[in-house]
Amino acid sequence: MTIGGRSLRPDRRPGSNARSSGPPGRRSEAVAGYLFIAVPMALFLVLFIGSIGYAGWISLWDWNLRLGPEEFRGLDHYTRALRDPTFQRALSNALWYALLWIPLTMALGLSLAVIVNQPLRGRTFFRATFYFPAIASSAAITLLWILLVAPDGLFNQAREAMGLNPLFELFGWGPKQNWMGDQRTALLSVVVLNAWTTSGTFMLFYLASLQGIPNDVYEAAAIDGAGPWQSFWRITFPLLRPGHYFVATVALIGALQLFDQAYIGGGVNGDPNNSLMSPVLYLYNSAFQQSDFSKAAAVGVILFVIILSATLVQRHFLGRTPAS
Amino acid sequence: MTAPAAPVARERSAPVAGAGPGRRTRRVIVYALLIGYGLLMLVPFAWSVSTSFKTLPDVNDVSFIPDPVTLDAWRYAWETLDPPIPRLFLNSIILSVAVMVTNLILASIAGYAFARLRFPGREALFIVVLATLMIPDQLRLVPIYVLFNGLGLTRGDLQYVAVVLVLAVSATSVFLMRQAFLSMPVELEEAARIDGAGFFTTFRKVMLPLAGPALAAVAILQFQGTWNSFFWPLILMRDRENWPLPLGLVQFRLAGGFATNWPPLMAAVVMATIPIVVLYLFFQRYFVQGVAASGVKG
Repeated sequence: MTIGGRSLRPDRRPGSNARSSGPPGRRSEAVAGYLFIAVPMALFLVLFIGSIGYAGWISLWDWNLRLGPEEFRGLDHYTRALRDPTFQRALSNALWYALLWIPLTMALGLSLAVIVNQPLRGRTFFRATFYFPAIASSAAITLLWILLVAPDGLFNQAREAMGLNPLFELFGWGPKQNWMGDQRTALLSVVVLNAWTTSGTFMLFYLASLQGIPNDVYEAAAIDGAGPWQSFWRITFPLLRPGHYFVATVALIGALQLFDQAYIGGGVNGDPNNSLMSPVLYLYNSAFQQSDFSKAAAVGVILFVIILSATLVQRHFLGRTPAS
Repeated sequence: MTAPAAPVARERSAPVAGAGPGRRTRRVIVYALLIGYGLLMLVPFAWSVSTSFKTLPDVNDVSFIPDPVTLDAWRYAWETLDPPIPRLFLNSIILSVAVMVTNLILASIAGYAFARLRFPGREALFIVVLATLMIPDQLRLVPIYVLFNGLGLTRGDLQYVAVVLVLAVSATSVFLMRQAFLSMPVELEEAARIDGAGFFTTFRKVMLPLAGPALAAVAILQFQGTWNSFFWPLILMRDRENWPLPLGLVQFRLAGGFATNWPPLMAAVVMATIPIVVLYLFFQRYFVQGVAASGVKG
């Protein structure tokens, strides 16, 4: 099993060589090992692994929060969720969000990484600046965003001052566009918001990946007369494949988990008119607005299956490192 | 706003590429892009600070220097918000410190065992730990809420325990600590053993003190993550006096009558963000390390 192109196994297995203690020493070492991992492992098993099974179990019953299982319903809650137009809306929103946000943020992250990977003066400062929006809380940043893109907000005023309004008119967005309050643009606003806060994170991921590309590859390319544009597309981009795979996977999981910004921007219904309804917001509402924990559990399982299969599909197309 | 993507990529120059006037123009373009994008990253924050010193009628005035400069919004936020800002800060500190400490302890013992102690099933169990990264929080919402509700952890002060328990140990922390212990020389450990030290003493007295940078990265990552966390406190904390800052901020907007009263809301946003900005200024490399590590691991 390799993730991000690196083996999970330690390069050297400490203890497998030097120590020549006999079986009693080895047994006490094993006991110590189990004692060391006991508490953390128990938490992982109960709160992570166990919760998969428990969610599946709850989703099969009419579940009463106080009394537990009441009536076995099989897959009813799954069909009920999948037939609900609001959930379908949430899924299509998630799809649109993923299609817009993932390529945009990956392109930004890769571009930034490639630039700050060069020997430039002040590149440490620029790296730190580009990562800056990622350190603030989603709550603070979403509230700030709502202020920025309000009808009379800084964004609308700035584009007017820069004379960019004709460009926006092409899309039918007037000078006082209410970005978060208009159902046509609310999701787009969240896409740009999250591209803004996450581009620095993806830059760091890509930087780690870029540092794995040896310099002599570029030297060879330069000798062969390749310009910077060519060497980027012919060398850097393909060699970054494990990086693309990792970033795309993280991005996809993140896209399907959209919640904070949708909830803060549009409340429990993802207003206006469900345009910010996300699958996780739907799940949250099922549980805490409708006290329908069984349906919420079913939605959780559906999302898990979607994430897992999407990851496997990505792994199939991007996961294999190119033969070098 | 999507415009920068393509032109930026074009500027990739191999370390040995180009010279002369073409190169000079390219440098100018690169710096212009860097500064432009940097401003996009920073201006919104400057705007929130600026807004917090404005009067309400001035909110839409496109000027970063408020006129007049007033502390009214800060005073108003400090005096009016419920639960009060000091209480929100206290709650955020309690949760963040507790989660940081549990992660430091649990991840370092588990990381040490996975790196240095031989026991049957070690590799398989470590893969189980890493696999937890694939389990999304939304799948865990219902089972964990049902479980904790049954245990009484969603009532009263136990709500703190509930949030800390959910965040108590993360696979990222374990991974970071394991990497740190893997890179340490075996000889030190052997010397301690020969001196008759037990496994725990060897870990605590010899190995743990060498893991400083990794411990710092875990501490920063977890403190910041918990300080900013919104999802789990929202799920597990019904009583508003237990809320951390992010929940308080959002509540002020959604239900507190602050929807359009931007200066006090931005004052609260600035207050909530300052501690993290200060941490970032001082411990920037640990932030980056933590992120880079999660990049390696998946």
